Amino acid sequence: MMPTVVEVQELTKRYGSFTAVDRVSFEVGRGEIFGYLGANGAGKSTTIKMLCGLAAPTSGRASVAGADIAREPERVKRSIGYMSQRFSLYLDLTVEENLRFFAGAYGLGGARRDRRVQAALELAGLTDRRGTLTSALPGGVRQRLALGSALLHEPPIVFLDEPTAGVDPEARRGFWRVIRDLASQGTTVFVTTHHLDEAEHCGRVGLMVDGKLVALDTPGGLKATHVPGALYAVELADSRKMRHELANWPGVVEVEPFGPRLHVRVQGELEDDGRLEHELKHHGHNDAVVSRVEPTLEDVFLALVGTGRQSKGAA
Amino acid sequence: MRLALTALIIKEFQQTFRDKRMVGVLVVVPLLQLVVLGYSVNLDVNHVPTLVADEDRSVQSRELVAGLVAGDAFDQVGELATGQAALGAFEHGLASIVIVVPKGFGERVKRGAPAAVQVLVDGSDSNRAIVAQNAATAYMLGRAVALAQERIAQVARQRGFVPQIRPLRVEPRLLYNPALDSAIFFVPGVAATLLLIVTLIVTAMGLAREKESGTLEQVLVTPLTPTTLILGKTLPYAAIGLVDLGLVLAAGSWLFGVPLRGPLVVVFAAGLLYLLATLGLGLFLAAVVRNQQQALMAAFFVLLPGMLLSGFVTPIENMPTWLQPVTALNPVRHFVEVLRAVLLKGASFSDLTSQFVALAGIGITLFGAASYTLRRRLG
Ligand SMILES: Nc1ncnc2c1ncn2[C@@H]1O[C@H](COP(=O)(O)OP(=O)(O)OP(=O)(O)O)[C@@H](O)[C@H]1O
Ligand SMILES: [Mg+2]
Repeated sequence: MMPTVVEVQELTKRYGSFTAVDRVSFEVGRGEIFGYLGANGAGKSTTIKMLCGLAAPTSGRASVAGADIAREPERVKRSIGYMSQRFSLYLDLTVEENLRFFAGAYGLGGARRDRRVQAALELAGLTDRRGTLTSALPGGVRQRLALGSALLHEPPIVFLDEPTAGVDPEARRGFWRVIRDLASQGTTVFVTTHHLDEAEHCGRVGLMVDGKLVALDTPGGLKATHVPGALYAVELADSRKMRHELANWPGVVEVEPFGPRLHVRVQGELEDDGRLEHELKHHGHNDAVVSRVEPTLEDVFLALVGTGRQSKGAA
Repeated sequence: MRLALTALIIKEFQQTFRDKRMVGVLVVVPLLQLVVLGYSVNLDVNHVPTLVADEDRSVQSRELVAGLVAGDAFDQVGELATGQAALGAFEHGLASIVIVVPKGFGERVKRGAPAAVQVLVDGSDSNRAIVAQNAATAYMLGRAVALAQERIAQVARQRGFVPQIRPLRVEPRLLYNPALDSAIFFVPGVAATLLLIVTLIVTAMGLAREKESGTLEQVLVTPLTPTTLILGKTLPYAAIGLVDLGLVLAAGSWLFGVPLRGPLVVVFAAGLLYLLATLGLGLFLAAVVRNQQQALMAAFFVLLPGMLLSGFVTPIENMPTWLQPVTALNPVRHFVEVLRAVLLKGASFSDLTSQFVALAGIGITLFGAASYTLRRRLG
């Protein structure tokens, strides 16, 4: 595997009696796109803040780019870029003033600063709007500017906290192109998102539920583990009644209504191509139309949040 | 470090001068306050509205009253039939002082018997009351001495002596502020409090705003050190503060004729130490509050005692004994003392050692405490 650049062990953050991040451990390799998923309040931002030195862990340890976050925060800061969930450039400064300020804060000067500011302007598509007040920019453009600003000092690792929140789908695709380019050049990207479709772009995905990291794998691995078997979409005349009937069939794991159709997950013999359709016709449902569908991370998420809730209820 | 500090200072100036309100707060407000306070806060007690209840209506009583209202101090605004009406006159705000000359006054004076005059003063404005009372008492004493002289001379002549009376003569001569002009006395106080208001509010609010908007977080993930951040957040306002000090002194001299009798460098050296304290205080507040609203509240909690316990409004000697030592901790007090001493008396460094030691001590302590707290809070 790639050399490890982020190493997290039993990292925990408590606010009073509330545990926002609960003994989380993982590693991120160089050049990897590491996706961090979870519902509101799951502890994503809190994890990132600890890794960026903005919040002190209650217990556990972590190192970023070989530097311990508690003992050498200054070294950590030199190797990371951070884009916070909330837009946090100066709204009362112009685009260029913001970039020149942050370049200076990162210790860039002279020709290098000019070059990096220019690169950030190009990334944000703002080369001819450098004198515009930041407050006058639309949301999507602001996000790109914030990304450009976080990359000014060419950090080997970037933490992006919901970079595409409130960004339209077209701009989101552009954003992910930039992220993939960065990773292909060796930059490690740690990114949180609410959009499960975006997580498909990630090399590996960690899933946070109530402060705990409940799953961590490649998108394909997550699906294989948590949504095993095969998934079929079934179109029937009387789908409402059949939903309950199907659920009792041996080999059927799960039946979920999906619009006018049913999503039926099966295991064992029923997984074979054409087998489910054959069985349905055999039971007199001659109108049944069956097609294979690929499970999404949405399905993984539902499966996991379900078990997460159960285990929490049992505890 | 140098690059980062330069970037911070440039950014602070860009933000400050972009915000028209900020320019107002930093430049226009101090001058405006100086003018308003300078003209309205008038401690000179002159033209006190005076009512006279002359129950005697003799030559002696008329002479007494005429002499009293002859100068600038008292203006007779009317007459009352009796002293009884004095209270009503005060309640209606007709006069600040009522002179009651009782019946038989002239007769007693002629006889050489003890004669009394009643001076009633409206004490609701205590400052004015004391000054008016003193002026009236002084005048009455003068009259008494004159009457005594006349009487002695009269008696002496009856017995065939040539009287040679040389009573004690008091010739008050006020130094430093000969016209007892309160504007001259007030400008140093105004300058000190304005500097406090401007620097305290600007630093506390500035940092609180960055906390609130999340920009502080973005700054804190850069390798910029807390020291750099603190310097970047204070140096621009120290510079603006010193410019304000110059502006206020210049305006004070131009509008109110406030002199500059001592070296200007002493004023600015003290100003710098004073700013160390006020900026430190601002940073400290910024470190402990969460948002701009709290910052403003906290600033006002500090400003009020800072002003009231400076000797600028109430002389320190007039404060309760237990409170007086507390004022030694107030940087405003020491700076006002330096300003008054240099501007009005021409004092220099050697005359102001204790004030400089105090200002330096308070400044270094406050700034140090603020830096420490900020470092810990910002981690
Ligand atoms: N400073 C704080 N004090 C108290 N509780 C906090 C603090 N910061 C975060 N929390 C709590 O910790 C939990 C995790 O917050 P966090 O911001 O990490 O969630 P998140 O996964 O980023 O959620 P979102 O998707 O809404 O951004 C939340 O319940 C939040 O209320
Ligand atoms: Mg978050």
